[in-house]
Amino acid sequence: MKKDSMLYVVIFTFAVCAAFVVVLAVANEVTKPMVEANKLFATRSAVLGALGIPYANAADASARYDAQVKELAGAVGKAWTSSIDGVEYIAVEAAGPGLWGTIRVILAASPDGERVRGIRVVAQNETPGLGGRIEEPWFLGQFEGERAPGGRVAVKAGAEASGKADADKENGRVDGISGATRTSQSFEAIVNAGLAALKAGGVR
Amino acid sequence: MMKSKAYAVLKDNLWTNNPIFIQILGICSTLAVTNNLSNTMIMTLGVTFATALSSLTLSAMKGLIPRKVRMIIQVVVMSFYVILLDILLRAYLPDVSRQLGPYVGLIITNCILMGRAEAFAQANKPLLSFWDGLTSGLGYMSVLMAIAVVRELLGFGTLFGIRVMPEAFVTWTIMIMAPSAFFLVAMVMWWAKTLQARRVAAAATTVASKEAKK
Repeated sequence: MKKDSMLYVVIFTFAVCAAFVVVLAVANEVTKPMVEANKLFATRSAVLGALGIPYANAADASARYDAQVKELAGAVGKAWTSSIDGVEYIAVEAAGPGLWGTIRVILAASPDGERVRGIRVVAQNETPGLGGRIEEPWFLGQFEGERAPGGRVAVKAGAEASGKADADKENGRVDGISGATRTSQSFEAIVNAGLAALKAGGVR
Repeated sequence: MMKSKAYAVLKDNLWTNNPIFIQILGICSTLAVTNNLSNTMIMTLGVTFATALSSLTLSAMKGLIPRKVRMIIQVVVMSFYVILLDILLRAYLPDVSRQLGPYVGLIITNCILMGRAEAFAQANKPLLSFWDGLTSGLGYMSVLMAIAVVRELLGFGTLFGIRVMPEAFVTWTIMIMAPSAFFLVAMVMWWAKTLQARRVAAAATTVASKEAKK
């Protein structure tokens, strides 16, 4: 068969595509359980982190999740509940627009939404080094145990780039990120929407 | 003969015909990923992997490819390796995969891959094409890593995420943003081109003086 004949071109292209696609499909199938496990671990570790339950590794995280966290049925969106030292907390997934893309967080708080337990960022595309710092412990740490009067936390301008944080847990405000005002504002909106959803969805 | 050719390819890809500062290819990824050393390393390793293997594959099957669908086949082979890489990263390095986000998939559109397939793998033996793809990737990697060192050091005060600069060091926000890569790439080009021009001029004078002695 001539190499430039129509038939050869069609058969060759089809065969090459089929061969490569089969290999990719096999690779995808083989790694599927691992990818699923990674996704599950990402969510579970974020829930545990937000609820303030420490874990050593992936296996430990899975065990603690099964033992201490219950998925909340009947809630709007995903929600989890856990009682830690006899106090009950509710965690919800909250999302909203950031500067560049959607920011997704897991937010844990008391069932009335008046005191934040903790927050973990699941996904964000903010500017690295500026808005991207919402993932850093100094920033998220400010929310841990923060009082939220009327179910609101204010993210205020004023922190310096050195990573100083608002240490007062009773004033219902945390320091925003210098140079990332828009991301800080978005984060405030997401957290407050999350607290409202938590208060509404947590009622049984 | 084979050895000297391999050396010539190496020298070409790393220096005299470097993909970044001479061919000016793959600039988008240079702007996007170089503010973080570990991301840069994974990304450039990915490009090296994909370029080397797609060059090898395309060169091995070059006798079978009809000219009409040459480019389609090239893209199919490149996409194959890049998607394979993406699948492997998602399974074994989920954190890296999450950080790199869409950039891994975008390796397919990296002009270096297409450039090597068109300019080299089409006309050379598989092993030499593999070597050409590998060294092209290394040429790309060396420049990107150098830029990433400067950007991460000044932008975050860290190297591979480890704090290097003193606490009092005020980070340069511009180094985190894409424009700084423009300045740095331009400076690398300036430096390399000046140096290469000087060598050419020096070689020309030696030849001229030899001729004069005759």
